[in-house]
Amino acid sequence: MKIFRNITVGQPGKLIKPIGFTLLSNIVNVIPFMLSIETVRIIFDSFAYPEKGLDTVRLWIIIGTLFAYMIIMFFAEKPAYRHSYRDAYDISASGRANLAEHLRKLPLGYITSRDPGDLANMMMGDFTLVETGVSHIVPQLFGALVMPVLAFVSLLFINWQMSLAMFIALPAAIVILWLNTKVNKRMADRQMKSKLDAGNRLQEYLLGIRVMKAYNMIGEKFERLEASFRKQMKESIRFEALSGPVLLLTITLIRAGLTLMILTGSYLLIGGELDLLTFVMFLVIGSRVYDPLSSALMKFAELRYDERAGERILNLMNEPEMGGTNFPKGGTDIVFQNVSFGYGEKDVLHNVSLAMKQGTMTALVGPSGSGKSTVLKLCARFYDPGSGKVTFGGVDEASMDPERLMQKISMVFQDVYLFQDTIGNNIRFGKENASQEEVIAAARKACCYDFIMKLPKGFDTMVGEGGCTLSGGEKQRISIARAMLKNAPVILLDEATASLDPENEVEVQKAIGELIAGRTVIVIAHRLKTIKNADHIIVMDAGRVSEEGTFETLIEKSGLFKKLWTIQSQSVGWEI
Amino acid sequence: MEQHKKQKTGLSRLFQIAGKKKGLLIISGILSSISAACMLVPFLSVYRILEELLKNAGNLSAVNRDYMIHWGWIAFLGLIGGLLILYASIIFSHVAAFRILYGIKMGLARHIGKLPLGFLNNTATGTVKKNLEQDVDRVELFVAHTIPDLVNAAATVVIMFIIFFRLNGWMALTVIIAFFLGTGLQMTMMFGKKAQGTMKAYFDSLERIHASAIQYVRGIPVVKIFGQTVHSFKRFNDDLYEYRNWAVNYCDKFENGMAVFTVVLNSFLTFILPVGLLTLSKDPGNMAFALVYLFFIIMVPGASAPLYKFTMLASGTREIFEGVSRLDAIYSQEPIKEASSPKRPRGHDIMFENVSFAYENKAETTRVEALSNISFTAKAGQITALVGPSGGGKSTVANLIPRFWDVTEGEIKIGGVNIKDIPTEELMNTVSFVFQDTFLFYDTLFENIRVGNPNATDEQVYAAARAAQCHEFIQSLPDGYNTLIGEGGVFLSGGEEQRVSVARAILKNAPILVLDEATAFADPENEYKMQIALKELIKDKTVIMIAHRLSSIKNANQIIVLENGRINQTGVHSELVEKDGLYRRMWNAYNSAYEWSLNIGGVKA
Repeated sequence: MKIFRNITVGQPGKLIKPIGFTLLSNIVNVIPFMLSIETVRIIFDSFAYPEKGLDTVRLWIIIGTLFAYMIIMFFAEKPAYRHSYRDAYDISASGRANLAEHLRKLPLGYITSRDPGDLANMMMGDFTLVETGVSHIVPQLFGALVMPVLAFVSLLFINWQMSLAMFIALPAAIVILWLNTKVNKRMADRQMKSKLDAGNRLQEYLLGIRVMKAYNMIGEKFERLEASFRKQMKESIRFEALSGPVLLLTITLIRAGLTLMILTGSYLLIGGELDLLTFVMFLVIGSRVYDPLSSALMKFAELRYDERAGERILNLMNEPEMGGTNFPKGGTDIVFQNVSFGYGEKDVLHNVSLAMKQGTMTALVGPSGSGKSTVLKLCARFYDPGSGKVTFGGVDEASMDPERLMQKISMVFQDVYLFQDTIGNNIRFGKENASQEEVIAAARKACCYDFIMKLPKGFDTMVGEGGCTLSGGEKQRISIARAMLKNAPVILLDEATASLDPENEVEVQKAIGELIAGRTVIVIAHRLKTIKNADHIIVMDAGRVSEEGTFETLIEKSGLFKKLWTIQSQSVGWEI
Repeated sequence: MEQHKKQKTGLSRLFQIAGKKKGLLIISGILSSISAACMLVPFLSVYRILEELLKNAGNLSAVNRDYMIHWGWIAFLGLIGGLLILYASIIFSHVAAFRILYGIKMGLARHIGKLPLGFLNNTATGTVKKNLEQDVDRVELFVAHTIPDLVNAAATVVIMFIIFFRLNGWMALTVIIAFFLGTGLQMTMMFGKKAQGTMKAYFDSLERIHASAIQYVRGIPVVKIFGQTVHSFKRFNDDLYEYRNWAVNYCDKFENGMAVFTVVLNSFLTFILPVGLLTLSKDPGNMAFALVYLFFIIMVPGASAPLYKFTMLASGTREIFEGVSRLDAIYSQEPIKEASSPKRPRGHDIMFENVSFAYENKAETTRVEALSNISFTAKAGQITALVGPSGGGKSTVANLIPRFWDVTEGEIKIGGVNIKDIPTEELMNTVSFVFQDTFLFYDTLFENIRVGNPNATDEQVYAAARAAQCHEFIQSLPDGYNTLIGEGGVFLSGGEEQRVSVARAILKNAPILVLDEATAFADPENEYKMQIALKELIKDKTVIMIAHRLSSIKNANQIIVLENGRINQTGVHSELVEKDGLYRRMWNAYNSAYEWSLNIGGVKA
């Protein structure tokens, strides 16, 4: 049952119609087969009882019926086809929509920690497998079983010994197949691992192509790439070589039923326990019944493979969503109360308590890995804290509707994602239905207006995927314009602004200055000079608050902040 | 060059690829045919037994039991033999397939390594990887499965029809006519007026929905931050259902055709029955013909499965063509040409002579960063700094030196020799690079540094690490130099990564250094160390440096100011700040940027 849950991404009910109509069409197709047996019987009759002669009238009737019956077959085939495809596309569409809906409710932290390519592949590739599973594999698996099952059951009544002989090896085949799927999975994992590894090496090769070239490591000279390709080749051959025999063994077992049946029949016939026509009937059925059975077997193997795609999707669907229905009251104070948090097992923040007051600028400073970006992420509820709580305007963030919270916060981070859309729409993203005037005003304030107007189509210029045709500084300013339009009371700022060429940098600085005016600001600062006017500086070290205060008080303390300040003063004067 | 042969496409191209392991595939094909023949033996057994029974229908006691049992076992032997041979055939085809794939992948990796960098810059790395894997998988599918299956199905059909025709031409012909009737009806119903267009439209629509999914997933963080997930979701949702409706509509067009085809294929028996009966009813006592008739009745329905398989496989190859043509698209990209008469550089001056350069794919970018008519000389042992606004051409200049791209016009010379005449390996040994975006291998830190000089001793590696200020932090890691970087290992901070890449360059110790100064502000301590590391690296080298912080190049021997792909000014710092020009403006901007501080009380200068 789990297998059907997986292949339908949790909606096994969707299989009922495709299976039902395929069964129907296969049942309909049994009639011609029965008529063919009747034909054989009539011919045999004419030789067994030559005095009666060949019943040509009956035969012509059968032939006429068969031709007429093709129309019925056609009408039985249509819904089978229709439902298989339609229902498969339905499952895909609604499944994809559900996944998309789920994704948007997952914690931001989870989303950003996953490779978007993987997620997109799950959204598309895995659902395509599911589609095939639902439209082809499962219905055909059931359809293929119709004839054998009907044959078995009805033949049992006619001659149970013969019927048993025909299908006796089937249970053994099923058991072997079932055991095999477990062993097979382990082997498949090995093969999959070598494949993934080869993929990762290839990605490494492509990402590092400049280094590869620069250090003469093209092609075979990047040995690990060659080794991983070679390993994949070997593992794949191994997998095929090992997995083949079992499948062939099961087919042998199933089809050996024909020989068994012939042997049994020969004895029974001579012993007089079986009459000629029954034996003939068994022979005719025996020559036809094993094809669908082995094809059902193949379908089952395919199903086991496709099922995993459904399982992957279901696993993602089981990731807990971020809940909450409260909404921010009035204030924008952000307070950490005894917050501990870790991405994996190890805590990154240890029992941190902080207060970031409304209408002030708080700066977070500290060596890399000290936890300052984690604090920023918790402010925006990328994650919920492991223990303790983060409150926004006095309300526990964990109880808040994430979207409502987000409306209060703007973020200006280093990596800027722009949509494959016009520049205007990328800015308008900050506020739905913003007028063109508002967009232009925001662009002006964010110092984008001039460069946008220089572009071939101004605000209607398309930005490439990932926004790759603009320079870093330009993208950053567009993201600032977007935040400007959003007009949220709290700004989270990561000043790791890839410093641009000086002129660009001045522009970005101006834009940021405009953006933060009069708001609650929390900033991660790298150049300590930038934050000399901060109302409050929090110095982080190894996941704890090491010092707090204003620029002046911290300089006087001669603690970590003073040390960082001294180093920085030395390095800015650096000359080659 | 592989790509300059007349380029084949589609199936013949696939066979060309497959042909690389022709021997294995031919063996596989022969085995597959033999297997097909063996698998028909059980039918023969049934026929023989029916013959025996029919002969003695009037007198059952005369039936030869041993004869029937004999044929029962023959059926079994045929089955076992058929499956064993099939297994052998599959193994041969897979060995061939995976060897071919290995060859293709290595070939592509080599080829991509020789292409101008633009190839990867224009296409997202993820796409290239994904396409490579998927397309290569499709070739596997073709070589390992489709070929043997096709051969098997074809062999089955051929053997069957040989038997059919030997037994009775009329009935055999009837089956063939019925098959073509079915296919013909299907074709006319499916491919009426708009014929091929629909197939392409289907793939286009699939591609669109893929793009939409990627955009949605990638955009989620931003969308969430702006609280617009509902909106963005709705758009994607609409796309999804639009695609569904489209696909359903598309499938509906095939419905009648497919149904007719299936029905006809399942009704071969219906067609031969009257043909045989006409003969039989003329001479009802003709046992020989009655046997043939029976044989057809038993065998003919069995012909539909391999025929169906054959048509399905044949039509399924379309998707495989796609894969091959995309792989060929990569192969057909022109690699950077190796020197025909290689020369070695004599000295380490770098000279640009009237260099112009334009990136390809103008249509895709909104602006094209390019160089026009650049000439300058970077003297050996001196520091030449490149400065200017972004998009001015600094990085382009740096990228042309290692021939990541080739100049469009003009020449670049190292030690008086055109870089196009220097063998790539030699050129790369002469120049080292420190890029802004560092790249570390998924390997140990030790190996990551040793990439700089694969023959270096352990001591030399440690020395380079020390000089690059890495030794200390590497020692503090749990496994020291044996710590794995990346997936499953340790992630380093940006500053640390940069220093490791500097250590690599120090170990390489090439006489020329192209340096792209890091722009991201690491934390103060990292930055300080990075600067010590760089000082060590540039000792006694010919340095071309892309500078972002003007203070760092005050002492450069030569500063070249680039704007819009042209040289705007050249000189040393002291001269350039005196002149009223771009450099001075940048210098002032730089200083004010440096003095800048955040302020929420309003904008200050």
